[in-house]
Amino acid sequence: MNEKTSGSDYILEMENVSVDFPVKGFTAFLKRQKISAVSDVSLRIEKGQTFGVVGESGCGKSTLANTMIGMVKPTAGRVTFKGKNLFELDRKSFKKTRRDMQMIFQDPFSSLNPRFNVHDIISEPLLIRGDATEEEMKARVVELLELVGLSKDDIDRHPSDFSGGQQQRIAIARSIILNPDFLVCDEPVSALDVSVHAQILNLLTEIQEKLGLTYVFISHNLAVVKNICDRMVVMYLGKVMEGGSAKAIFDNPRHPYTLALLTAVLDTDVDKEKEEIILEGDIPSPIDPPQGCRFWQRCPHAMEGCKNVPVPEVEIERDHYVACHHVNGFPDTDLPEGYDRPVKTEEAERKDKSHPLKTEESVESKTDA
Amino acid sequence: MNREQTNENMLAVRNLKVVFPMAHGVIRAVEGVDLDIKKGESVALVGESGCGKSVTSKSLMKLLDTPPALMRVDDITLDGESLKDYSEKKMQDIRGRHMSMIFQDAMTSLNPVMTCGRQIDEMYMRHQGMDKKEARKHTIRALELVGVPEPKSRARNFPHELSGGMRQRVLLAMAFACMPKLIIADEPTTALDVTIQAQVLDVLRDMQRTHGVSLLLITHDLSVVSNIAETVYVMYSGKIVEKAPMKELFRTPYHPYSEGLLKSVPKLSDEGKQFVQIPGSVPHPMKKPSGCYFHPRCPYATEECRQSMPPLEKRGEDRLVRCFHPLKHDAKEAKTA
Amino acid sequence: MTDKKLPIQQRMLTFLKKRAIGTGRFFKRIWAHPKGKIGLTVVSLLVIVAVFAPWIAPYDPYDVADRTTKGLTPSLQHPLGTTINTGVDIFSMLIYGTRISLIVGVTAGVCIAFVGAILGVMAGYIGGFADNLIMRTVDVLLVIPSLPLVIVLTNVLGRDYWIIIFIFVALGWGGLSRNIRSLVLVIKNSNYVKAAELAGASRWRIMTKHILPGTSHLLIMSTALGSAGIMVAEAGLSFLGLGDPTRISWGRMLAEAQGGGALLFGHWWWIIAPGIGIFLAVFSFMRIGIVMEEVLNPRMKQSTGIHKIFKTLSGDYINEVFDSMEETEQPTTSERSAAKA
Repeated sequence: MNEKTSGSDYILEMENVSVDFPVKGFTAFLKRQKISAVSDVSLRIEKGQTFGVVGESGCGKSTLANTMIGMVKPTAGRVTFKGKNLFELDRKSFKKTRRDMQMIFQDPFSSLNPRFNVHDIISEPLLIRGDATEEEMKARVVELLELVGLSKDDIDRHPSDFSGGQQQRIAIARSIILNPDFLVCDEPVSALDVSVHAQILNLLTEIQEKLGLTYVFISHNLAVVKNICDRMVVMYLGKVMEGGSAKAIFDNPRHPYTLALLTAVLDTDVDKEKEEIILEGDIPSPIDPPQGCRFWQRCPHAMEGCKNVPVPEVEIERDHYVACHHVNGFPDTDLPEGYDRPVKTEEAERKDKSHPLKTEESVESKTDA
Repeated sequence: MNREQTNENMLAVRNLKVVFPMAHGVIRAVEGVDLDIKKGESVALVGESGCGKSVTSKSLMKLLDTPPALMRVDDITLDGESLKDYSEKKMQDIRGRHMSMIFQDAMTSLNPVMTCGRQIDEMYMRHQGMDKKEARKHTIRALELVGVPEPKSRARNFPHELSGGMRQRVLLAMAFACMPKLIIADEPTTALDVTIQAQVLDVLRDMQRTHGVSLLLITHDLSVVSNIAETVYVMYSGKIVEKAPMKELFRTPYHPYSEGLLKSVPKLSDEGKQFVQIPGSVPHPMKKPSGCYFHPRCPYATEECRQSMPPLEKRGEDRLVRCFHPLKHDAKEAKTA
Repeated sequence: MTDKKLPIQQRMLTFLKKRAIGTGRFFKRIWAHPKGKIGLTVVSLLVIVAVFAPWIAPYDPYDVADRTTKGLTPSLQHPLGTTINTGVDIFSMLIYGTRISLIVGVTAGVCIAFVGAILGVMAGYIGGFADNLIMRTVDVLLVIPSLPLVIVLTNVLGRDYWIIIFIFVALGWGGLSRNIRSLVLVIKNSNYVKAAELAGASRWRIMTKHILPGTSHLLIMSTALGSAGIMVAEAGLSFLGLGDPTRISWGRMLAEAQGGGALLFGHWWWIIAPGIGIFLAVFSFMRIGIVMEEVLNPRMKQSTGIHKIFKTLSGDYINEVFDSMEETEQPTTSERSAAKA
């Protein structure tokens, strides 16, 4: 996302934002360590669009979201919301600005105070703003309840009386009561049943059309993101791997991690032949990440140079950026010896073949079924 | 449903009912469920939360706390052996050795103060009477089988030192340790990341097929099923609404609910901003509607559906459906036949 | 839900009404619990006795003129006899003793809950320096042996019972505030607090509306259990001769009984009576504390009232439920279509 054009149609801009957290513990005798949750991320979000952030847990997408809404202060970089730098505002105007941004959380139950009833939950932001009478608040709550598909009889009930999907509807109603412009949805459906996903996603798009909201949509499921996002980034360990227009990325995914995520989306189409890319290993710890590509440990195409040559984001087509040496080739300068040797050693290959499950017998039984 | 006991069945459950008496009424969690799992077959039980699928799995293992729950069953047979009247002590012997279970949350199902290796050792020592050294050898082999890198040192780790995917693998190793006849996996991958989920499902499928173990997979996500199961039972509000071989169900679902579940999975091939949804939500287990439980959400419901519960009928080979107006797939059916 | 147009009195009234209904419901729930009934009954009896002591007690144990023969055995005039050394009616002492024991126990319990809540919430929610200061103080309080300290403090500060209450509170808030703090840390990180922050809620609002109510079950429970503990501690202190010398408490009765030679003369009732008093008070407060924990703690809610459920649901009813699930024989689809035709 390195567009040089700057216009007023961007509602939120992030420039080279990094967030580090110090690691707590007995650091007196050790080198002081830090977790690099978000590292050098720049992005621009246009008004009225849906911006997708995709990645697995630990990739920094939640920290990124918290930085957008001013809950976490970045260690470096700027966050500009509607032309104002969020972290340079004084307390009062910061609070005022932040009323235009709201968030929907992953786990609906923990985002509703179990001791409050539905009316008190939904009207809380209005009550805090303090410019509405009791009747006005009640009328607004009823209006919102109907908008999100609940009935006005639910107004006195408590969160525990509702199913997960209904709880998420209540949370959505609360988030839009102040008429915000900018709504961050942090995995709004992943704690819910698959059959409820569609309901909530449709509700969110419907609300967006009605109120003209800008969404940041965080998810690990590319199938969800595909249909509702205009632009997106794929993140891994705090870095952007691939970004740009959602259409470009889905039409022509290039980064090995994006490809792996795409094949990891499970489908219900049993007749389609699927090519599976199953990544080896786990997501490494974000403490002191490598200098080079952060994905190299799990990448099937990793080369020696990937370990420590920094990866720039390169625009490979219009509004489509990829950060990968395998796709873009290595830069010409300062390359270490043997940078293009594949990392996957022969020993590892042999070990892979002798893996007890990869015997011929099992291959046969797989094709049988 | 075929009520005769066939020899090739690993697990057969007849007419399982579970209720929870509460202060304001009775929750009917499971209402007369029949299940058949053949030897070496993997079967999935699919339904939304609150449909009674987890209660079913727990009552198969007799892990349900009674009271508060009350359970009644005509018969449960595991490999020809009737478990119906087994005492708790006998069941303890069956669990682990002949039937084992994999839970959703690996962190809470592993003992946090014992190393992972030790916990698998225990399985061998208790059920196969091995000594410590021999058990550890088997443990390391088992960890290797489920794809844990450096199994020797990993066995010495405590659960919190491992990642979520690794912990789930340890649970797999534990479940497969004594080569049980049946493994029940209750949402084994919901807590995992997508790429890790793919790994674990892959291992689970390979282990199940190479060892010929029967598997009962319980999930709310039909897309998980497509990778692993051969037969699928769809459960709604305590009753089985459809049983079919996996591919047939995915190609031609007969019950409107199965169709809804299939369509509501977000797909990469989808176009447009709208997602297909099942309207409404699962009925409260204390206030179930009259007639077919699905009729308030069903687009095809008629007066008949509102008044009486349709029976679970045979329709085609190996398929059962509980619906007065099963969906017709003439063109597709002809093609597959 | 404050409406700014209404006058303050009316708002207060609606607030109090709401609170009164809430409190009433709360006691009803405790009463509904089988264990709670005994506790509530005994506590209310003790309170009545303490409040109306001058009317219930036949003599005034504080009145030097109101004394008779020393060392009387139980009779109709003196249901528990009189003391051997001073000739005071023991039954009246027992009744007046309820006052001090309850006042010391309940006041100290409430004060501990109050101090513990404020400091615990401060430590948990504000964090940083306040957290460090408060928690290190708690560490010190928890490790120093309290009995010797109490003895020293009573010698320095005096032995008035208000001072004794003060000492108990000063030494007793540590454990509670540590528990409160850990609960606050959990609530503070919950998404609903985050949502309130996003909506622009002030720290004060978050503390009073979201965090304090979340700790209420712990506070109420620890008040009940703490009061019981303090009553025992007060009795022990008085027994050692460190209580308020001008007041009659159950502990002091025990001390006097021992000093006055109750054992020597075989006047066992003199010892048993205050013992039963202490036991009843502690037992009933503990009971209520335990029931409160079960009623209020959101995590333990499921276990309440299980006996009740099984009483109300007879075996026949359950059988009916099971039978109603049985598949009824119904015509198959083909038969039905044939019938229609």
